Amino acid sequence: MSADVRAAAPTRRPPRTSPDRRTGRRPRFDVLPYALVAPLAIFIIGLALFPAAVTLVDAFFKVQPLNPPDGFIGLGNFVRMFQDDSIVSSMVNTAYYVVIGVVLSTVLGVLFAVTLQQRFRGRSVLIAVLILPWALPGVVEGIVWSGIWDSNTGLLNSVLTSLHVISHYQVFLGQNRLVTVLVIELVQVWQITPLSTLLVLAALQNIPGDLYEAAELDGAGAWKTFTRITVPLARPGIAIAMVQAVIATLNVFDQPYVLNGAASTGASVMEQTYFVSFQNLDFGEGYALSLLITVVTILVSLAIVRIVYRAVEL
Amino acid sequence: MASTRIAAKRTALLAGAIGLGLIATGCSGGSGSGGSDQTKGVTITVAWLNPPPPKAALAAFEKSSGITVKWADIDWDSLQTKIAAAATSNTYFADATDVDWSRVGQLGKLGWFYPMSKYLDVKSMAADMPQMSSFQADGTVYGIPFDSSYMVTTVNQAEFKKAGITSMPTTMDQYTADLQQVKAKGVSATPLNIPFAAAEGLSTYWYEATNAFGGTVLDAKGQPQFTSPSSGGYKAAAWMVNAIKSGLVPAGNINVTDSQGMQNLMAKGVVASTFSDYSGNVGSLYDVPSSSSVVHDVAYIPTPGPTGTVPNLGNPDGIGIPKTAKYPKAAAEFIKWITSTQNQAAFAGADGAAKVMPNYPTPSRLSAMKLLTASGKLAQGQELTTLLSGAKPVFASGAPTWYPQFSRAVSTNLHAAAVGSMSVQQAISAIASTAKSLASGS
Repeated sequence: MSADVRAAAPTRRPPRTSPDRRTGRRPRFDVLPYALVAPLAIFIIGLALFPAAVTLVDAFFKVQPLNPPDGFIGLGNFVRMFQDDSIVSSMVNTAYYVVIGVVLSTVLGVLFAVTLQQRFRGRSVLIAVLILPWALPGVVEGIVWSGIWDSNTGLLNSVLTSLHVISHYQVFLGQNRLVTVLVIELVQVWQITPLSTLLVLAALQNIPGDLYEAAELDGAGAWKTFTRITVPLARPGIAIAMVQAVIATLNVFDQPYVLNGAASTGASVMEQTYFVSFQNLDFGEGYALSLLITVVTILVSLAIVRIVYRAVEL
Repeated sequence: MASTRIAAKRTALLAGAIGLGLIATGCSGGSGSGGSDQTKGVTITVAWLNPPPPKAALAAFEKSSGITVKWADIDWDSLQTKIAAAATSNTYFADATDVDWSRVGQLGKLGWFYPMSKYLDVKSMAADMPQMSSFQADGTVYGIPFDSSYMVTTVNQAEFKKAGITSMPTTMDQYTADLQQVKAKGVSATPLNIPFAAAEGLSTYWYEATNAFGGTVLDAKGQPQFTSPSSGGYKAAAWMVNAIKSGLVPAGNINVTDSQGMQNLMAKGVVASTFSDYSGNVGSLYDVPSSSSVVHDVAYIPTPGPTGTVPNLGNPDGIGIPKTAKYPKAAAEFIKWITSTQNQAAFAGADGAAKVMPNYPTPSRLSAMKLLTASGKLAQGQELTTLLSGAKPVFASGAPTWYPQFSRAVSTNLHAAAVGSMSVQQAISAIASTAKSLASGS
C-alpha cells in the first residue's frame, strides 16, 4: 500500500494584470472591489493595525501616568521586565501552558476528528455538543472547573474519595507548580480542543475515500492507514489547529486568574500584562509585554507551520 | 447593464464612506473636555458592579429630576480596566461609577475623578457616613460610600457553645485558644476560615489581623510597620500561616478566595469562625435556610484585639464622577439620590422585598442603618450599626498610589508562606522590600 502523498509544488501565481494582447491597452482600473473591501480594511487598520503600531512604538517609551513625564527609554521596559522575578516566573509558566496545551489539544483533536469522521448515529448531535466548551467564555469555564478542582468541596475529590482512590481530600491548585499548571491547562485544553477537532475534521473530509479503499485492498491495518494516509493528508489542518492552540495558550488569562489568582505557581504572562498595565498603570512595560507575546506567537506559529504544514495534492 | 454597474459602484462607494464615518466616530471617542452642568433632560450612564435599583424607584427619580439613567452592570475587574482605559484615552464611558477605596490614591494623583466637594456637601454627609475617610486622598474626597462593607468577625456560637465556650473572645489570645478548643473537642476539625488564595481577599484579611494584633501596615509615608517580629503585622502573618499549618484552617483553603468559597464553608458549618468576614453575611447568607445549615447560629462579634476589642477596618465601595463624564452635575444629583437615607434603607430591605436593590449589602449611612434595624429587616442590625460607627480606614492617610502592587506582594507572599515555599520571615521581608521600593518611587 502506498498512498501518493507528496509535497505539492508551489501554487502558481495568478497572472499579473498585463496589457490586452489584441488591443495593447491596459484594462481599466476597477474601483469596485477596492470600494467593497474598504470598510473592512478600514476597520482592521483602525481597530487592529493602528493600535498594534502604537503598542510597537510605545513599548520603547516610558508611559506611566503616575510618574510623569513620559519619554523614550529604548529597551528600558524590556530590561525591567526581565528583572522582575514574578514576570520571569510567569514566562516559565506560560511556556508550560503552551507545551501542555498544544500537545494535548492536538492529540485529542486528531483522535476526536478521526472518530467523528466515521458515520454513526448521533454524530451531528455529538459535534454540536463538542463545540460547546469552545463557545463558553474562559471565566465561566474557570468558575465551573473550580467546583471540580476545589480542595474542600470539589467534585473530583469527592469522586476519588468515594472510589477509595484517595483517603483524604487533595489540594490540586496552588501547592505544586507543575501540578497547578497542568490542572489549569486541562481546563483550557477542554476549551480549545473542539476547534482543533473541527479543523482537523475539515482536513480529513478532503481525503478521498478511494485512498482508504486502496489501502484496505493492499492489506493495510488501521494503524498503518492512520499513519500513512490520515496524518500526512491532514497535516494542513493539524498545523492550523496547532497554531490556534499556540495563540490561545500563549494568551491564557481567564483560567489561571480565576483558578489560581496571582500566585506564582500558575500566573501567566498575560496576567502579568494586566497587572502591570491596569493595576500598576505602567503602560509602557505593559506594551513591552504585549509586544513580546506577539513576537513569540508569530515565531512559534511560523516554526509550527514550517515543521508541520505540508501542502497536499489530491 | 451599465446602469446596474454604476449603481453597484455607487453602493460600494457609499459603503466605503459609511465605513470611514464609523471609524472616524469610533476613533474620535468622546468628550473628555469637561462636562455640561445641565441637569434637566439629560441621560447619564451609571456603570456599577451590581444590577440597578428597582424600576419603580429609578422611574420616580427620573420623573422628579428630569435625568434619565442608563445602567451598565459590569464586574469589578472589568470596571477598573474600563475606568483606566477611558481616563487615559480621555474618552467618555460613564457619568458615575465605582471608586474603590484601594485605588483612591491613584485616582487622586491622576485626577481621573472630580473632587466630590465640587458637587456635594461632603462634610455634612461625612457626619452620617463613617467610611467617608476611606475615599479621601490628600484631604480630597473622590467617592461617596455606596455601601458599608467592612471586615467583621463572625462566630458560629452554637459550635463554640458545644465546645464549652460560653463567652465570646475579646482578645486574639483568647480567640485562638477558643478555636483550638473547638478543634480539640472535635466540634470542628478545622474551625478557622482564612482565604489563602493569592488574591485581594488574603491581603485585606491580613490588614484586619494586623489591626487585631495592635499594629498598622504602613505609616503616613508608606513605610512598612510590620518587619519586627513584635509588630502587629508580623504577628498577624505568623498567626495566619501557623493556623493553616497546625490544621486550624482547612488545608484546601490554600486556594479559596474570600468570596463564595470561603463563605460557603461558614454557611455549611465546616468552619466555626471567619476572623475577617463581610458585614451583612449573617442576614444575606448564613441565616438563609436554602443556602445555609447554620441558620441563626452565626453572630457578629466585636473584633478581638491585643488586650480588648478593636475597631473594624472598612472595605467599602464608593461612587464617584469621572472627569470624562458628560453630565457631572446630573451624576451628582443621582449620587445624592442613591445614597440618601431613605433609599439606602429601602434598597437594603426596610420597605419590603419589592424595593430591594439586588446584591445591595448594608447602608453606608448610620441613619439608614438605624431605619433598617428599626424595621427588623437586618439580622443583628444593632451590632452592625455599632461596629460601623467605629469602623476605620485601612490606611489612615488614604491608600498609597502604588497600593495594587503592594497588595499583590502581600497576597502572593503570604500565599507562598502558607504553601511552605517560603518562611513567614521571608514573606514579610519580601512584602516590606516591595513597600520600601514603591514608597521610594523606584
